[in-house]
Amino acid sequence: MFEGTLVDLVPFEDDYATYLESWMNEEAWFRAHLWDRREPHPEDAVKKYIEKMEKNERAALIGYQTKAGDPIGGLIYDHEWSRVRKVEVTFFTGDSRYEGTDEVLDGLLMLARYCFETRNMHRLDAMSLAFDEARIDALRRAGFVHEGTLRQHIRWDGDYVDVELYGLLEDEWPGYAARIEALGLQASDLEPKPKPEKKLEDEKALDEKILAP
Amino acid sequence: MLEGVLVDLVPYGKAFLENERRWYNSEVYFWGTAGDRAVFTRAQVERWQAERAEGAERRASTSVWFGILTKDGKPLGDIALDEMLPHHRVALIGEMIGEPEYWGGGYGTDALLLIVEYAFDWLDLRKLWLSTMGINARMQRAALKVGFREEARRRWFWYADGVWTDDVMFGLLRDEWPGRDALVERLGLRAREEV
Repeated sequence: MFEGTLVDLVPFEDDYATYLESWMNEEAWFRAHLWDRREPHPEDAVKKYIEKMEKNERAALIGYQTKAGDPIGGLIYDHEWSRVRKVEVTFFTGDSRYEGTDEVLDGLLMLARYCFETRNMHRLDAMSLAFDEARIDALRRAGFVHEGTLRQHIRWDGDYVDVELYGLLEDEWPGYAARIEALGLQASDLEPKPKPEKKLEDEKALDEKILAP
Repeated sequence: MLEGVLVDLVPYGKAFLENERRWYNSEVYFWGTAGDRAVFTRAQVERWQAERAEGAERRASTSVWFGILTKDGKPLGDIALDEMLPHHRVALIGEMIGEPEYWGGGYGTDALLLIVEYAFDWLDLRKLWLSTMGINARMQRAALKVGFREEARRRWFWYADGVWTDDVMFGLLRDEWPGRDALVERLGLRAREEV
């Protein structure tokens, strides 16, 4: 576990794998993966995606959760490029109750912290659909700088929409602790959601197996 | 296959492959890869070519690759549509002129005009984009001449010869494209004696 102020970063497994079966078919996922075709992701596709990310040495899918252990969504870095020390970052708020909260911002800050302070990156790339105000707000508060607009670049629900590009350089990153102090993050104190049903079923099956003679 | 004023776009076949080792071991590679320099052996280039040939079928739906040939049959380099996404109807253009004595002579611009026309008129794409290093003034001039607009400047994106340089991104919407004939006329492109 990698501990932040409002959230912790955890392996994307167990409950997260179960949650992803619905998250990967919801709005927040497609906003974060704006290049991808909007298509249904059945369980097999979700499993393959997690496996693909686990094997990819230039990318990672990381779970983030509240201090009470409530899963929020995923943090992703991808296409890490050693020669120019840069990486693309994105995030999705699987549990939509957390959209726009400081927990999501802390997740993004923790991702930036990991990329700069552990992986020694020089630059982080991020992008957002022009209308995705919650994402743009989180990027700006995290210190990302707007670098341009790709005009009418993405087909979205019958329209062609702009894509806003953002970048954050290592020289602009004051360090996680300094950023947190300047922002004064506030916990949203949402009630943790119940554990996913599938997990309960798995546990029940395990119990039956253990109890079997 | 696609006939221009100074160049034709043709299949990227043997005549081009034979030049790759020389192109990749020269200054051309630095500009073509946005700042990389490498020293490739013959075996490395051949292995690369074999891997590329194996993956050609898999890439067919997302890329189209042409060789750039002068009117007297000299292979000059390549130009491609890449990352084609039919649901967004966009594609990325990549171009490399492998013979430096042809740089600045309009050959790259002519090839660019041909592939833009091909993308819009044959593949029904809606938007094209390309990106280049901040220090690559030649590519930026060519993009602007063909009608692309600068859309973004990603700071300190490339590392080239020990310094950071920006990534300049250009976009061209089909609605903005006046057509190849109009641009050939406007730019005054004329057939000429070869170098």
